[in-house]
Amino acid sequence: MSTAQSTEAIREEPVKLGWGQLVGLALVAVAGVVAARFFNHAFAVVVAAAVAALVPRRHGWDVRAPIAVIAALLAFFVARMWPEAAAAVQGGAPPAETGHALSWLIWLPIAGAVAVLFLPRQAHSTLRWTTLLIMLGAIVAAIPLLRVAMGRGYHFDENVPWMPQFGIHYHVAVDGISLWLVMLTVFITPIAAWVSFGPIEKRLKDWCFALLILEGGMLGAFLSLDLFLFYVFWELMLVPMYLIIGVWGGANRIKSAIKFFLYTMFGSVLMLGAIIYMAYTYQRVSGGAMSFDYFDLQRVLVPFWGPGPGEFWPHGPQLWLWAAFTLAFIIKVPMFPVHTWLPDAHTEAPTAGSIILAAVLLKMGTYGYLRFSMGLFPEACAYFAANLAGLAVLGGIIYGALCAWKQDDVKRLIAYSSVAHLGYVMLGLFAVTQASVEGSVLQMVNHGISTGMLFLLFGVIYDRRHTRHIDEFGGLAKPMPAYATMFVIATLASVGLPGTNGFIGEFMVITGTFASNKLGHFAGVQAVGAAIGVILGAVYMLMVVQKMFFGPVTKKENRKLLDLNAREIVCLAPLAMMIFVIGLFPNIFLSQIKGAAERVIDDYEARIEINPPPKFYEGPIKLLPRRPEAPKAPTATSPQDLKAAL
Amino acid sequence: MTIAIALSPLLAVGFGALLLMMAEAFSRRLGGLALGAAAVLFTGAAFAAATWMYGVDQLTDASALAPWLIVDRFSLFFDMLLCLGGGLAALLAGGYLSEHRIERGEFYALLLFATLGAMILAAAGDALTLFLGLETMSIGAYAMTAFRRASPRSAEGALKYFLLGSFAAAVLIYGFALIYGASGHTDLAGIGAAAQHAGPRSPLLIIGAVLVFAGMVFKVSAVPFHAWTPDAYEGAPTPATTFMAVAVKAGAFAMLLRVLITCFGDASWTSWASGWPPVVATLAVLTMTVANLIAGRQESVKRMLAYSSIAHAGYALLGVTAILRDSSEGASSVLFYLLAYTVSTAGAFGALILCGSHGREAVSYDDLSGLGKRHPAAALAFSLFLVSLAGIPPTAGFFGKWFVFKATIDAGLYWVAVIAFINSVIGAYYYLRVLVYMYMREPAAGAPVAVPMRSGYVNAALLVSAVLVLVLGLAPTRYLDLAVAAAKLGAG
Repeated sequence: MSTAQSTEAIREEPVKLGWGQLVGLALVAVAGVVAARFFNHAFAVVVAAAVAALVPRRHGWDVRAPIAVIAALLAFFVARMWPEAAAAVQGGAPPAETGHALSWLIWLPIAGAVAVLFLPRQAHSTLRWTTLLIMLGAIVAAIPLLRVAMGRGYHFDENVPWMPQFGIHYHVAVDGISLWLVMLTVFITPIAAWVSFGPIEKRLKDWCFALLILEGGMLGAFLSLDLFLFYVFWELMLVPMYLIIGVWGGANRIKSAIKFFLYTMFGSVLMLGAIIYMAYTYQRVSGGAMSFDYFDLQRVLVPFWGPGPGEFWPHGPQLWLWAAFTLAFIIKVPMFPVHTWLPDAHTEAPTAGSIILAAVLLKMGTYGYLRFSMGLFPEACAYFAANLAGLAVLGGIIYGALCAWKQDDVKRLIAYSSVAHLGYVMLGLFAVTQASVEGSVLQMVNHGISTGMLFLLFGVIYDRRHTRHIDEFGGLAKPMPAYATMFVIATLASVGLPGTNGFIGEFMVITGTFASNKLGHFAGVQAVGAAIGVILGAVYMLMVVQKMFFGPVTKKENRKLLDLNAREIVCLAPLAMMIFVIGLFPNIFLSQIKGAAERVIDDYEARIEINPPPKFYEGPIKLLPRRPEAPKAPTATSPQDLKAAL
Repeated sequence: MTIAIALSPLLAVGFGALLLMMAEAFSRRLGGLALGAAAVLFTGAAFAAATWMYGVDQLTDASALAPWLIVDRFSLFFDMLLCLGGGLAALLAGGYLSEHRIERGEFYALLLFATLGAMILAAAGDALTLFLGLETMSIGAYAMTAFRRASPRSAEGALKYFLLGSFAAAVLIYGFALIYGASGHTDLAGIGAAAQHAGPRSPLLIIGAVLVFAGMVFKVSAVPFHAWTPDAYEGAPTPATTFMAVAVKAGAFAMLLRVLITCFGDASWTSWASGWPPVVATLAVLTMTVANLIAGRQESVKRMLAYSSIAHAGYALLGVTAILRDSSEGASSVLFYLLAYTVSTAGAFGALILCGSHGREAVSYDDLSGLGKRHPAAALAFSLFLVSLAGIPPTAGFFGKWFVFKATIDAGLYWVAVIAFINSVIGAYYYLRVLVYMYMREPAAGAPVAVPMRSGYVNAALLVSAVLVLVLGLAPTRYLDLAVAAAKLGAG
């Protein structure tokens, strides 16, 4: 895209009251009436009006109205989800968990992607609006999920046979852990799409198609409880992301795209092998049909130590199964030493690709570890937790921070900061305490929002200057005050300043780690290491802010840079507001996560208790009872039934 | 009466071939031959399906054909598969040969006879019919390889193929001669009984088995018997390449499965310690690894697809190895794999044909650069088949790999499975490379670019393959049931 075009795109609109502004005002008014009538929260209207008034004067109602609507919606959200309020609403009959809410959520974007294929290639604005409407539709489809108190259980359970003779089911359900990741996905994707609609003009139809398929794939992966289905969605996400980097990326995009694809696929095929082995083992020990269902496979207790006296190294099958799963996940996280694809992929990906990659795709790895590695192989997790926690602290938090410090490419810097931040998430998961697991889940969401926002912000300046080099900037706060404000907010969230979301997550992870009894003698040391990482994080992030925004304007090109335009402000506003919503009202989120985290830890402890460390389990493969929170299985399919059905 | 039903697929293709030859000799126009050949082959498939529906257990008279020809679900499955592959190749030829001005009617007759040979091979219950089918199939394939008379590469490929193929056939027949010496039988069931009685100790039997095996894996083009494949595949006109990659390979696997299961299928021969599984596993691992590594280095897409077909033979051999625990599961995974491989490979070669036109054939990766922008439909079709070959859901190739890997893991061959997994990542690299060129590169200024041809025949073949790739990828159960039913071999 040429500079002339980009200047065109970011030209500021003069302040005048036209039809657009009137419609905006009407929208605020309607939102207020709806609020007062149905939710009885004039509070939201007040917040919306206040936020709209806070927007600097030179912006017109085309900026104020959407921001006010977003603020009103978030205010509703806070008011409705406040634990006491939620309990009061849910005091009556619990809301019905039917209507295939999760299927709508997964298939709406995918069906939308197919629909987009039938739109004409040249109709850019139709394509953009259709895509955006489908993504907003996904948000609406996700609202019923928020109306249920998650507790310890699984909700909106749908279990339909797909290939019954192999025990493959279409099994989706949501719990307190996947809830917020699903919310994050539906929240971030439209923002990424909307921000991309300025710079991306090349092959827009393919772009919209890729984004929608990606969204469907991510939602499917977070919601699947059948391992086969999970694998299908996991692979399904891979292709659109590969295309997003490879087609719309920077100069070195092809190498990065292939590196991304091969790294991820290397991990995932080994995981596929482990999945098949587990399903087959289930068939052997249960004497019935095969099953890929999470709750069935959770019952399979695979020996951790092989037969034979006094081995140095556990060589039961559980080690290898755990390794296959975990390798797939830590490549995706990514953890040292398999993180090298990430800086390349982030650097070359277009802005929207970086946002989704950082905000959601990396969470696949941490979510996968929490759900599948910890859920299926607790013994192996416990055995390696201390070592891996050391890796997360040294290789992730500290090494990632040091690498970030030395980067002069801003996108690479943010990418390495992701390595460091996800080090906290993994550390929290390795520590397995209530606080650390809750903190990890919250930190996944936090990282998605703050790093997503940083990538978005960097995309804004990249569209104007087309350089990623940090020395090219300097003193930007003078020509671009609003931009600088947003950047500082995102930076502070990323650093973990109290009051922002980053603080809550990191604090919980560090305290949880300190109290952990799963990390051998080094829990305290690791907590201290993580705390040092916080300091390093402040060092490199504030260094960026200082170099980019303050001091004199050193380059001539930077003097005339235009500040944020309407589209960019509307994209950034929800992220900035969300930073404070989580930072100030973390209970909203934690109250939903709490039950699921408890359940994960209980399941984990239950397995460790039967076969305490360090010997864990060395007998034959056997079948444990079903965990209490597992949704009731649909009618058991015996081999005879299957024969009759076929 | 039932004997006519039992033989109907073979008869349909055989008579069709003769009819087509007459039509070619007495008619001045060639236009309809491709359609005729495809129609004959699809009719053959339909007859096979009808016989399947009729039920092989009702074909009481068919036992009169035994041991020469065995009509069971296994051979009917292969009849359908071979006719499908041959039919797709005939449709592709209809577009390709006329576009490149080498259309002569004997191509279709050769193609039909080669398919007939492969069908006989799949049904053969005796070493003699087996050899007959093998030669009928091979001679057709040799001639089709040499079909571009003006091209030295075509002649080179055909000569290599012919010399090595004849040599391999000789090795095979020599092996059967030794087995006959050891067992006194030429029928496979008789050899099987003798082999079970003697166990894997009789040296004559073992030497014979090794020679037969070498002859068979030559046709499968497994490493280290693969040296002819890239040259023959590259030199042949692309529809002939498709036929060789699809039907010849499927026929060879039919022969391999039937001989291994019927003759050497009892416990002592299939045990890991004393039987053939380690040999097949080694070959499978070698085949997929070597082929995948070399395929990644190719500059010609056609040659890359040739190596990819070798690699896929390696995955299918993995399923053959899995026979050691459960012959039905291993064999059914191979059958399903071949089905998925047939539609994906025929589609991939077809898309490659579609991407080029006279004088501007798509050969190298560079020819394809920017195709996604210039000709989105052709590029999309090509991508679908490559994604399927790479084994990414929701396509046929994914389930093909899935069932083979599942069979391998069930058979306890974990390390082999891990190597296969790693191989499928290597495989993804070179398939994706085509996508990279099509969607992410622009041709250099002034460089010759491939221009897609317009041909209803090619489009029809691609449509059929694409539908099957998606159907097999989304709802594989029905087809897997077919494969499972087919994997129970008739006694003979």
